[in-house]
Amino acid sequence: MADDEQDTKEYRWETGYEKTWEAIKEDEDGLVEGLVAEFAQKAARKAVVPRRGPVRLGMMRHVLVAVDCSEAMNSQDLKPSRFLCTLKLLEKFIEEYFDQNPLSQLGLVLMKNKRAEKLTELSGNVRKHLKALQGLTDMALTGEPSLQNTLEFAGRVLKPLPAHASRELLVLFASLTTCDPGDINTTIQALKTEGIRCSVIGLAAEVRICKKLCQDTGGEYGVVLDDVHYRSLLLDSTSPPPRARALDAGLVKMGFPHSAPQTNQTDPGTNADPPITVCMCHLDDGEGVGGEGHLCPQCRSKYCSLPAQCRTCGLTLASAPHLARSYHHLFPVEPYEEVAYEGQAQYCFACLRNFTDIDKQVYRCGRCHEFYCWECESVVSTTLHVCPGCASRPHLYQRLPDSS
Amino acid sequence: MKLTVDGLLVYFPYDYIYPEQYAYMLELKRALDAKGHGLLEMPSGTGKTISLLSLIVAYMIQNPHHVRKLIYCSRTVPEIEKVLEELKNLIKYYEKCQGEKPSLTGVVLSSRKNLCIHPEVSREREGKLVDGKCHSLTASYIRERHESDNSIPICQFYEGFNREGKESMLPYGVYTMDDLKQYGADRNWCPYFLSRFAIIHAEIVVYSYHYLLDPKIAEVVSKEMNREAVVVFDEAHNIDNVCIDSLSVKVTRRTIDRSTMALQQLEKTVAQIREADAARLTVEYEQMVEGLRHAAMQRETDAVLGNPILPDDVLNEVVPGNIRNAEHFLSFLKRFIEYLKTRLRIQHVVQESPAGFLKDVQARVCIERKPLRFCATRLSSLMKTLEIPDPSNFASLTLITHLATLVSTYTKGFTIIIEPFDDKTPTVSNPILHFSCMDSSIAMRPVFARFQSVIITSGTLSPLDMYPKILDFNPVIMSSFTMTLARPCILPMIVSKGSDQVAISSKYETREDVAVIRNYGQLLVEISASVPDGVVCFFTSYLYLESVVGAWYDQGVVASLQRHKLLFIETQDSAETSFALINYIKACESGRGAVLLSVARGKVSEGVDFDHHLGRAVLMFGIPYVFTQSRILKARLDYLRDQFQIRENDFLTFDAMRHAAQCVGRALRGKTDYGIMIFADKRFSRADKRTKLPRWIQEHLKDSLCNLSTEEAVQICKRWLRQMAQPFTREDQLGVSLLTLQQLQSEEQQEKIEKQVIQK
Repeated sequence: MADDEQDTKEYRWETGYEKTWEAIKEDEDGLVEGLVAEFAQKAARKAVVPRRGPVRLGMMRHVLVAVDCSEAMNSQDLKPSRFLCTLKLLEKFIEEYFDQNPLSQLGLVLMKNKRAEKLTELSGNVRKHLKALQGLTDMALTGEPSLQNTLEFAGRVLKPLPAHASRELLVLFASLTTCDPGDINTTIQALKTEGIRCSVIGLAAEVRICKKLCQDTGGEYGVVLDDVHYRSLLLDSTSPPPRARALDAGLVKMGFPHSAPQTNQTDPGTNADPPITVCMCHLDDGEGVGGEGHLCPQCRSKYCSLPAQCRTCGLTLASAPHLARSYHHLFPVEPYEEVAYEGQAQYCFACLRNFTDIDKQVYRCGRCHEFYCWECESVVSTTLHVCPGCASRPHLYQRLPDSS
Repeated sequence: MKLTVDGLLVYFPYDYIYPEQYAYMLELKRALDAKGHGLLEMPSGTGKTISLLSLIVAYMIQNPHHVRKLIYCSRTVPEIEKVLEELKNLIKYYEKCQGEKPSLTGVVLSSRKNLCIHPEVSREREGKLVDGKCHSLTASYIRERHESDNSIPICQFYEGFNREGKESMLPYGVYTMDDLKQYGADRNWCPYFLSRFAIIHAEIVVYSYHYLLDPKIAEVVSKEMNREAVVVFDEAHNIDNVCIDSLSVKVTRRTIDRSTMALQQLEKTVAQIREADAARLTVEYEQMVEGLRHAAMQRETDAVLGNPILPDDVLNEVVPGNIRNAEHFLSFLKRFIEYLKTRLRIQHVVQESPAGFLKDVQARVCIERKPLRFCATRLSSLMKTLEIPDPSNFASLTLITHLATLVSTYTKGFTIIIEPFDDKTPTVSNPILHFSCMDSSIAMRPVFARFQSVIITSGTLSPLDMYPKILDFNPVIMSSFTMTLARPCILPMIVSKGSDQVAISSKYETREDVAVIRNYGQLLVEISASVPDGVVCFFTSYLYLESVVGAWYDQGVVASLQRHKLLFIETQDSAETSFALINYIKACESGRGAVLLSVARGKVSEGVDFDHHLGRAVLMFGIPYVFTQSRILKARLDYLRDQFQIRENDFLTFDAMRHAAQCVGRALRGKTDYGIMIFADKRFSRADKRTKLPRWIQEHLKDSLCNLSTEEAVQICKRWLRQMAQPFTREDQLGVSLLTLQQLQSEEQQEKIEKQVIQK
């Protein structure tokens, strides 16, 4: 058996005790199949955190993700190791994050040997982050992390950012101890007054200082049970948090760049090739010289991808689809009601699949009163963000949920 | 909420109640109904105090003729404060529900040190000094002298109280120490004497054990309590030791020297007075003839020297002729002290019974038993006559007279052991005379006899059947309650072998074994690597702690430990220990994490709580047997075997297990808390040890957790810690471990609770 799993560095007998059979119980007929389906349904259900009523959300987010790179990351209780598992999940997280928050920015920080090192700048460039992450796999993990240094660093980076965007720090913390140069409580207080929201995902156990940090700054504190739980915790933090107290409400100036002019659009009189320009996002690398790109409507700097913040004039650049994608956060689908299946409907309204015995639970939309299967329910709540039943009835569609 | 417990309407000041609290109240009510004594065990953090208070107060209000008074005894000042806080809460709730204050007075009594408001006296730090200074300002003769000579200082607060305070009663309500001080300061009354006076009439009295158990104090303070009272001893797992200590005396060479000096001083004073005012001594002599009891129209302030023996044993007779005269008495004492001095000049250990000792005294220095019995009273009378302003200088002499009185009063249940040196330092001559009580029931008996119901309760009383035996009483109820929990928030484990499969144990033969010590070290390192924040370890003795830490240092365990957490060690110096504790807490709060190495039976194991992050794991290295070579212990074991048919081994195990339970119980102080308890000794998994753990620990100590190796334990810890870290809210508890009134009244719940109470 060990032969076909060549990537894993450990043997089966080196891993923790897993009593996988304990969770499974037979139903009345001595079968386990229905139960397994129920587990899956429950797990899918759990991932959806119901959000009530119209709340103001921070839609433009600036998130720093700090990754613990201490010795504790070597532990193999998450497979193949805590660090590799974290990197893998982080890639998913980054993709999902930009998918959910197209107007937002992200930066990566490493907590390495009592210091906080910047891996990537705050930016909206997915590829850059992923590339940086992929370069980490072979990094040596030694020493202890310093939570305080990380917080100080995050404070320094996030402080100058405009107040209309949320400022957040997410720490993935495997160590149970932090080695700090001074009193961490003053740092936490400083972050609190700045309105920087700090969340921590612990990989081992509840550490009191992390709990305090999250409580004080209004963040979430979670400790992972296993890699599946880790994933769901990470993905939970992709949806924008309720608007923090310190956020200003205000109008934000935004630019919607048009594409770089094509040859046929240039002045025919000169009859010249389009000017070769340097893309602003790749300025440092010396790459990105080319003709195509998005031009800032204000200063006409060129960018190869959107969304971005103009480096020259500071304008936020986005395209209309980006705004549209952020829109569903404002009008979330009301969570479906879970009801025991007693033949209320023949088939799922969305996928038209017939309900069978395996479907112990079906889901009902509170507005259009249609029934859905659990798979469609999870698709609607996590991906689609629109109830198909309501969408097909214009009088129900696009109305704010009742505030009660 | 208002609930009915077996037909009794109980006001409970919280919206939710734990099922075990209700069960506890049920049992308690049975004891009160039967007017008998009870023994109740319920884990700490489940609201014992408020259950006790709310039930007894309700009972008192509704059956005023059955129960008139509640005497609540606790151990330390912070615990007493906590009780008062709860009581205040309760009374406030009564007031809210009924619209008026219930006609109850709750008063605390503490030492002068805690209650004094005199600007100069209260500045003193040490209790004895405060007592002495207070006495020098308030003694009756001082005040008499003040009347003729205004320059002699007196305490204005006492005077104020004496003038006005005695006529008025305290208004209904609960008075904490601060309240009393405030009340006293407002009226210029002394809070200490105010509370001494008030406890006679107050319906609820909260004070320390000693005011009831130590005959020296009980005689003075608690004499006038009436019979229809409920006495509660909280945190009473060590009550037998308190009883024994209150009747034991230890005399060293230093004591002898000091008392000789005090004696000389007394002689001088007597001679002076003989010249100046011979009449005073004559009056005293006359009083002696008439009978001391009658003569001693003691005023409350003078009675600083109580009689060390129990009230029933005090002779109601005239003081014998040969010590009536002051000079004679002093020379009598001198002879006795000289005798003790010669007894201390020995090379080998001597053990004898009080009878043998008396016979020897008779033969060597011609002192009879009867005058010896009066020594303590005679001395206090003399001190009063001589108008000694500050009796604290005479503590050693008083001790000697206590010894004289005790040794001549009690012949059974006591022993005298004279050791020429300490066992640890056999070369240094340091003779000690122990007059030691072996029977804890002697001090307890009058309490059981005097009061209608005595409730003994604590978080760790298992095995329950031992207490009735050693305290010699017949409880009408005896129950142990568990914690109903919504999640398994304790994880007790018995680790019996190291990773290399070598059995670990602190038993005498193997405790110096390198493999055992290394395995202990390995266990601690692994645990500290996988448990966050604070870890507390208990060793069986300071000696063992030192030797193990020394070995760890050489093996490199300390170095690898410090990579994960900071290391703090409890020492015998209490200042050093409290400094270590402060820094330990700091390290836990700041996220650095810390390990505290301490000793079972030490200060840390008894008084300090390690709740939440301060004690995520507690390790018990070895079974904390008491030092079995001690002669006092041996004598006590012999006595217990002969008198109460308790086998030596049973008692030793009982004592060890209650201390082990006490130690590991430090980690869990409430239902939202969670903690790991590791018993690292092979012997814990034997049935005779395991079954002696409190029920609430035993319940979670499944067979699969009983015989683990280090790495198995660490794996279980890791998984459990993850589960415990998941969010836990009140809603999760509701209905399971936390009940609303409706839930409580549901039939199903009632049945469950009934079942829960297992009569032992």
